[in-house]
Amino acid sequence: MEALAISLVNAVPLLAGVPLWAVTLLLMVVVAAVILVFALTFEGVGSLVLRKVAGDIQARIGPNRVGPNGMLQFLADGVKLVLKEDLIPANADRLLFKLAPYFAFVGSFAAFVVVPFGVGLIAADLNIGIYYVMAVTSLVVIGVLLAGWSSNNKWALLGGMRAAAQIVSYEIPVGMALIPAVLIAGSLSLQDIVRSQSGLLGIFGWNLFHNPFTFFSFFLYFTAAQAETNQTPFDLPEAESELVSGYNVEYSGIRFGLFFLSEFGDMFIVATLSTACFLGGWNVPFFNAGTLPWIWGNLFSLGVFLAKAFTMVLIMMWVRWTLPRLRVDQLMRMAWKYLVPLTFVNLLGVSLWLLVFKGKGIPAMIASLFG
Amino acid sequence: MGLKAYMNDIVEAVVTTAKGMRITARYGVDPREEVTLQYPEERWEIPEGYRGFLHNDIKTCTACTMCVKTCPVDCISLESVRGADKRMVLASYDINIGRCMYCGLCVEVCPPKSLKHTSGYEMASVTRGELILHFIAEDAAEIKARVARQVAEAAAKAEAQAAAKAAEVPSSGTAEVAKAAEAAKAGAQAGPKAAEVPPSGTAEAAGAQASAKTAEVPLSGTKAPDVSSESAKAPVVEPKAAKEGENKE
Amino acid sequence: MTTRTDALPTQEMTINMGPQHPSTHGVLRVILTTDGEVVTRAVPDVGYLHRGLEKIGERVTYAQYMPFTDRLDYLAAMNCNCAWAWAVEKLAKIEVPERAEYLRVIVCELNRISSHLIAFGSYTADMGAFTPFLYGIREREHVNDLFEMICGNRLTYNYARVGGVSGDAPPGFLEKTKEFLDYFEPKIDEYNNLISYNKIFVHRLANVAVIPAEEAVAYGLTGPNLRGSGVPFDLRKDEPYSVYPKFDFKVCVGTGERGTLGDCFDRYMVRINEMRESIKIVRQAVAQIPDGPVLAKVPRLFKPPVGEVYFRSECPRGETGIYLISDGSVNPFRLKIRTGSFVAMNIFEKVTKGLMIADIVAVIGSFDIILPEIDR
Repeated sequence: MEALAISLVNAVPLLAGVPLWAVTLLLMVVVAAVILVFALTFEGVGSLVLRKVAGDIQARIGPNRVGPNGMLQFLADGVKLVLKEDLIPANADRLLFKLAPYFAFVGSFAAFVVVPFGVGLIAADLNIGIYYVMAVTSLVVIGVLLAGWSSNNKWALLGGMRAAAQIVSYEIPVGMALIPAVLIAGSLSLQDIVRSQSGLLGIFGWNLFHNPFTFFSFFLYFTAAQAETNQTPFDLPEAESELVSGYNVEYSGIRFGLFFLSEFGDMFIVATLSTACFLGGWNVPFFNAGTLPWIWGNLFSLGVFLAKAFTMVLIMMWVRWTLPRLRVDQLMRMAWKYLVPLTFVNLLGVSLWLLVFKGKGIPAMIASLFG
Repeated sequence: MGLKAYMNDIVEAVVTTAKGMRITARYGVDPREEVTLQYPEERWEIPEGYRGFLHNDIKTCTACTMCVKTCPVDCISLESVRGADKRMVLASYDINIGRCMYCGLCVEVCPPKSLKHTSGYEMASVTRGELILHFIAEDAAEIKARVARQVAEAAAKAEAQAAAKAAEVPSSGTAEVAKAAEAAKAGAQAGPKAAEVPPSGTAEAAGAQASAKTAEVPLSGTKAPDVSSESAKAPVVEPKAAKEGENKE
Repeated sequence: MTTRTDALPTQEMTINMGPQHPSTHGVLRVILTTDGEVVTRAVPDVGYLHRGLEKIGERVTYAQYMPFTDRLDYLAAMNCNCAWAWAVEKLAKIEVPERAEYLRVIVCELNRISSHLIAFGSYTADMGAFTPFLYGIREREHVNDLFEMICGNRLTYNYARVGGVSGDAPPGFLEKTKEFLDYFEPKIDEYNNLISYNKIFVHRLANVAVIPAEEAVAYGLTGPNLRGSGVPFDLRKDEPYSVYPKFDFKVCVGTGERGTLGDCFDRYMVRINEMRESIKIVRQAVAQIPDGPVLAKVPRLFKPPVGEVYFRSECPRGETGIYLISDGSVNPFRLKIRTGSFVAMNIFEKVTKGLMIADIVAVIGSFDIILPEIDR
């Protein structure tokens, strides 16, 4: 950010007299605002798309009344959520009750900071990018747990406890499934991981096709991440047919809206992480967006990245409208007896592969065979 | 659990999930599979014999009260008086459509087939009173008074004829008729009040039961909705009753 | 020295599940005593939908009671209509025209299909998969269209009459029924592929709330709940009424294919398989239906002889038994109705011990209870 500020000060003579820290701060606020707008738009549109996909899959039409073909439905929903009465149960822990949605929302929103949207489009290219994402998305569980506890409702409490158990358990397979990408790139920075997948191999340069273990890693990550973000079939914390609505049963208005937004934010984060770590991020086969002029290169790579990420989001919705829900003990069994051992085996496999074949993937070896 | 069973578990989970997702995907991408009927714009074809709102064609109704007797939820109420030609004349015919359960038993028993289900099924009202359909627009009391007048006239005529013959053959029957005629006259002069305390001779059918029901009438609302084009002409607004109804509500 | 439990005393939690809960299938209230997620005791509390249907039966005439049987089990109103008609006919020994009996069987079996579709759909929705529910509803609409055609209503049919049915099948009804069966039969396989054999779904149901055969009989379970435990008891076969003996169909029983015999999955699969059998029956009935009148001559002021009768018929939710005492007047003297859902509530507390909260939902769904039948 500071480097960008320096270049900005150099480029614009008007800013010469302004202290550097002020410019940096201003830039930070602007970038944060841009990301917030993007996140909110995505979450709004995401809710619309979710309902449209649900409609298509369930032989219905879906929302089609607000705006052309129902496109403005999410605005109507948003306005409704903002205008609704903000109810706080009489016996709730008022402070925690009010605080909980912010934890959940901040947890998912903060992860957007390190999302590599394009060649140069990243709010902060942290050198611990993946670690950072894992850390801040864990904040969501605090929000959910607080919401469940402070509502003073037994269903909400059960939902909160389920969420805590679930997210803590699934952190491990999620982390373990992402490490192969880190090993291949040799860096925790998401931008570096994406760059490591570019090159002349095109689609086969992606980590997904690097070797059999990374291929499985992708599916393991995708499954575990769905569980970590409470998507169906792992939506136990809110399980509307069992716990009525789980941890957010007592929430209304914009506080409920924040939980709702954080859910979609998590969905997007999972999609971006799987895109960046396994599907080549903003890379397209046989074309280096970095060679284009800055603005066009970034716009192009942004488009590619979003297309991939949205495809992943669509797949998540597709899964969501197909599968039933696991039971809580089965969920734990799946984490500890299936996903954790499998991700460890995978990690071991990838490490051995990298050691034996000197970091080369199968496509690279085949390519070298043909010269 | 052996390794084989462990692996089988995983494979089975993946395969069955893929199977299910193939089906949902097929519905997802095929726009022909959408079965939604966009209701206010599109409507389904209503078959013959559909049991919608009830409609009574009062011209053919004989006021036999079969429908009233057969209705399991007592949603039909009617008042009738005996007319000059000895046939029953409807004074009021109300159906509480909010209470009706569309079972169709009343339609089945109706001897002149005047009571029918229409194909109407849409209705919205602000007050509960509006749910009562009035099939006779005129005030029940007025009809009764009019019929009583007609009966009285007929009776007077009969009396005159009887008086001409009376000298020859005096009979007990004529005396009764004369009494009835007097009573009818009194009823006609009394006007609307006659509805509540009908003279015994004239409107025997609309006796105590009728007075009980007239008490209910002001509570009821204004007009029957246009259940269908054919029935649209029958129920008409009853301004006085409407006002009263609103006040009561 | 204090033990761990002294330092951190735990206690059981009482949770009120219902009467407003998405998956209690209406206004059932279950009082759960749980230790965390594990239910130590689940007591069903019924009665929130009591309308006094049996008492109403004493103040209306035999014919007038027919629309009330629609409200006995609104998902299978045809079956309840016919049960009432059969009971009264048995009491008064009325001969019913054969065409009327065939029409009754056709609508009863169609209604069984539509009722099982709701059972299937709401069960999958309880398990978290919402999509199959809408597929089930979609197919049910076709059945409703057929019923709307034959009797004029889509939910409360009031089709049967003492002595027959209210009206003959309109032209085109039998053809449309065949069309529906051709359309619907492959859908069952689709349901099985979509959800029935889904790994998660099987895991949720298999070995949950196992009811052994002896216990099922001892508690008086009937219908699919009894057959799920492997007891091949079906009133259509074992105590044949109407024209059922003329049709070839088999009694579906649970096989314990994915777990223990008598678990939730078996009860679920019995319903899925019964839809196929109902299709078979309707096909045969449509092919064999004779011509003739559809309503026997019954006096308008119908007064059955003095006496009492118990008639039971196989409804989608088990045996619907009607016990009727007549004193020779136009109204029944006493009416008592036995329903399958109510009986299933008896065993509920026993089978739910030690299950999880999510399993409670699975058990309620597997019994396919409907509240107006429980409370009447």
